Amino acid sequence: MRIRTILGNTVLWIFLLAFAFITLIPVVITVLGSFKTNAELTTGATFLPSSWHFSNYAEAWQQANFSKYTLNSLIISLSAVVGTLLVSSMAAYVVDRMDFFGKKIYIGLQSFTMFVAVGAVVLRPQFDLMVKLHLHSSLWGVILILISAHASIFFILFSFMKGIPRELDEAALIDGSSLGRTFWRIILPLLGPGLGVGALFTFRGAWNEYLLPLVFTMTKPELQTLTVGLANLKYGISAASQTHYMMAGACLSILPILVAYLFANKSFMQMTAGSLKG
Amino acid sequence: MNKTKNALFSYSFIFPSALLTIVLGIYPIAWAFRYMFYDYKGYGTARFTGLDNFSRILKDTQFWDSVVNTFVYAGGKLLITIPLALLLAAILNRGLRGRQLLRGIFFMPTVISTAVMAVVFFTIFNSYNGILNQFLIKLGLSDSGIDWLGPKYAMLTVILVAAWGAVGNYMLLFLAGLQNIPEDVYEASALDGASKIQQFRYVTLPMLGPVMQMVIMLAIITALKGYESIMVLTEGGPVGKTEVMFLYLYKLFFPIGGGSAGVQVQEFGYGSAVAFVSAIIVGIISLIYFYASRRMNQTD
Amino acid sequence: MMKRTLMTSMSLVLALGLAACGNGNSGGGNAAEGSGDAATGGSGEKTKISYWTGDRHDADFVKEKVAEFNRANTDGIEVELVVKGDDFDTALDLSFQTSDAPDVIRVKENTIQTFYKKGFLAPIDEFLTDELKAKFPAMPDLNEFDGKRYSLPNYGTTMRLVYNKDLFAKAGVENPPTTLQELVDTAKKLTEAGKADGAYGFALNFKSPSSAFARSARVIAEMSGYGGFGYDFKTARYDFSGLEPIINAFKQIKDDGSMLPGVESLDIDPLRAQFAEGKIGMYISYSSEPGVYKNQFPAKIDWAAAPAPTIDGMVKGASGFLGGQWLSLSSKSENKEAAWKFMQFMYGDQVLTDYQEKGFGISMVPSISAVAATPDVNGIEGFLPNKNDGVWPIYPAVAPEGMKSDDAFFKYMLNGGDLKAVIADLNKRYNAALDSAIANDGIKAEPDAGFDPAGLGGKFAK
Repeated sequence: MRIRTILGNTVLWIFLLAFAFITLIPVVITVLGSFKTNAELTTGATFLPSSWHFSNYAEAWQQANFSKYTLNSLIISLSAVVGTLLVSSMAAYVVDRMDFFGKKIYIGLQSFTMFVAVGAVVLRPQFDLMVKLHLHSSLWGVILILISAHASIFFILFSFMKGIPRELDEAALIDGSSLGRTFWRIILPLLGPGLGVGALFTFRGAWNEYLLPLVFTMTKPELQTLTVGLANLKYGISAASQTHYMMAGACLSILPILVAYLFANKSFMQMTAGSLKG
Repeated sequence: MNKTKNALFSYSFIFPSALLTIVLGIYPIAWAFRYMFYDYKGYGTARFTGLDNFSRILKDTQFWDSVVNTFVYAGGKLLITIPLALLLAAILNRGLRGRQLLRGIFFMPTVISTAVMAVVFFTIFNSYNGILNQFLIKLGLSDSGIDWLGPKYAMLTVILVAAWGAVGNYMLLFLAGLQNIPEDVYEASALDGASKIQQFRYVTLPMLGPVMQMVIMLAIITALKGYESIMVLTEGGPVGKTEVMFLYLYKLFFPIGGGSAGVQVQEFGYGSAVAFVSAIIVGIISLIYFYASRRMNQTD
Repeated sequence: MMKRTLMTSMSLVLALGLAACGNGNSGGGNAAEGSGDAATGGSGEKTKISYWTGDRHDADFVKEKVAEFNRANTDGIEVELVVKGDDFDTALDLSFQTSDAPDVIRVKENTIQTFYKKGFLAPIDEFLTDELKAKFPAMPDLNEFDGKRYSLPNYGTTMRLVYNKDLFAKAGVENPPTTLQELVDTAKKLTEAGKADGAYGFALNFKSPSSAFARSARVIAEMSGYGGFGYDFKTARYDFSGLEPIINAFKQIKDDGSMLPGVESLDIDPLRAQFAEGKIGMYISYSSEPGVYKNQFPAKIDWAAAPAPTIDGMVKGASGFLGGQWLSLSSKSENKEAAWKFMQFMYGDQVLTDYQEKGFGISMVPSISAVAATPDVNGIEGFLPNKNDGVWPIYPAVAPEGMKSDDAFFKYMLNGGDLKAVIADLNKRYNAALDSAIANDGIKAEPDAGFDPAGLGGKFAK
């Protein structure tokens, strides 16, 4: 029995470490690449940089205007997270727990938006709408459009909602708690893991969104986001891409997503931490 | 009375979501879709052509090839991604020392942008001086290397890259789902003397049902719609070997080949028709899956 | 717990957002300085105009010149420069839905027709003096539509065969190839000489066949008297048969093993990087290459550029000199006079001369090329216009059903087959699309029996 456990553990760790290695190799190449010259990086012959160019980071920081645009990116991403979670968790709650006319239609519409991809073509009508609302040169336009694309987060939360025993909220309702209060006090806290992962995915999506902020800040450069700045890194004074700066910029812009991951990870931790008693 | 109150409450809670979805989701799609009955190149007047675009789709072998490619690509990606993600989630859910670090590592690929991925995977896979081939040759596993991005292996490479970028996502979703399972269920089964594997089979999987059903559904839709990593890695080539449905569609709206590569004509009308047919294909597959998997959705 | 986090972050976001999100409908008092909002600001009577460009290679230079104009002009005009990257066209499209469309737009040889058709551009004839008309050549479809001028040329792009002199010397080849047969043979010799060091005779960026052929097969066809994109200007029909020997030669090079392995997934930048390392003997590309080897991929080899080969060594046409336009006036501009003053400044001799001398592009204005010095960029000499460079007319672009010509040709190069049948099929589909475009989209395509491709050259250099 004991030998079997040891053997099992060894196999398990070999699998985990091998897979971690495969996963990390491209990431390591990215980080190492960000210290190379453009020629060395694009030639692709070396693994380690032949000399370390830390200046790539200074250049990327400056050219992409990190200090200026990071705040705009944060505003967009955090607003999108809060809006998306709020809108989708409210919808998921009533769709799972309530019965009302139009529920099936609503689910149908949400699925439909997921099946379709017309790419940037839908940008035109979205933009026209925002022009009518006078939001076409403001980050609010971007945020609203980002929140509107919440179908997948809705479906994720919807499935998590099913995992929460109905007895819990029914008991609260019998005790005289209102529906809104039950949602707020009972359901949302229990939805923790789903909200955590939903927040993380929304943050990542919004943080990397490029075309929307580009278009909505056309006439207000001071509202541009980091992705727009990063895209500008690609081209320099000649026709070739400045891949080395692009990589350095990418490595920097990953950091906020990793911070978001650490926060989200806490929501996966909650239960496990509480269960270590056994 | 209570019923009306509940209905009112429901509508008020679903209102923000429904409003945003209809105004900024459905309406723009409808706006784009109306061109499917027109010949429209992005400027001038659109010319009504009835069902011409659809009869063109029927004859469009490039499109149907891309549909086949899509099934291969999505199938391959899902077959690798879902079992791996589930396995990793199950291992990293409880107990194991170092699981925090490992989770972080497996999540890393999902934050790397597609533009950077293109450069990195070209460095790894290109047949001239790619890292992987150098490695294989050194180990004596191959004489002159494998043409990973050539006609024969490009699809496999593209699938591997896609799976690399996706496993972390689904691992996290499954992990979150596992966290939803109350601890006492495990304790009860452990008392009954169930082994780890038995626990997974008879406790974890059924409890994970609804979440798993939805996550796999999202994975299927995402895989069917995926094109961005293919676009940057191979642009659908060589000679269409990795051209998937939504990449073909994207190129109709936004022809690749800027610079001085001649004037490009955008096909809004035909593109919309292709977008519509693609949506129907994705929808049908999702529905088939949904009905086939409804057993997973039985809670308790 | 979750709720508190949610509430806190929400209020945080709201506070941040209200402070920084900017708001389109706030009446005045908007703190967006220099954002090109209508001239409501108090200070003086500044006329604000905006210039949008997708060019990044000359951004610093243009920025400097804009600042100079803003300082020096006495009409109280202030130009705001907006530099956009990849998605310039999308942004421009959408800006024309608003009141914030730019006043001056950078147009290119492959965008000016579309912008014109979309009604973005205003004619500039009313501003043109006879002197200007004489100085800047009119080019139909490139800066002139229906008899009206919409832009003026500044710089142009030539196409050449770029070759590795060191590898040529090693292989004992004296001169760059001038015929397709020589191209095939040279590629073979270079590969034999270089293969031990991993060097190959020829390469093109076939990751995107359209990008690869548009810089290579196109110029060989043009030099040999055929339209570079398969369009015959004499008959006003598509006929790809002129490209047949060129595609066959490329296929031969590939079959001989004289092409860099993995060209089917090669992008232009990795190609350049390998050339700079000395791993590629020859390729064909635009005059932007010397700048790349100066700034991005310092070449470790001695290289030069030569005219592209022709099919049989006879020059029967002109090597495409791409350009003919630079700045255009927006049809939505409310300050066309002021915008024109800015354009006039940018088209002044000093700016145009500097533009060439600093190496941003080769001048296409005869009076400038006559006096401007050769740019200080190694390798540019080979790209300067010669008697065989000329401006081709614009062909009517169509969207055929089925596979595009570039993909069909590359497929033949990889898989073989019957090239004549491929071409017959392309001709059929492209001409059907052309007929439809003529009938429905108002595209014009009229035969020009007297069209003489050889007569296109000689206008920029003797």
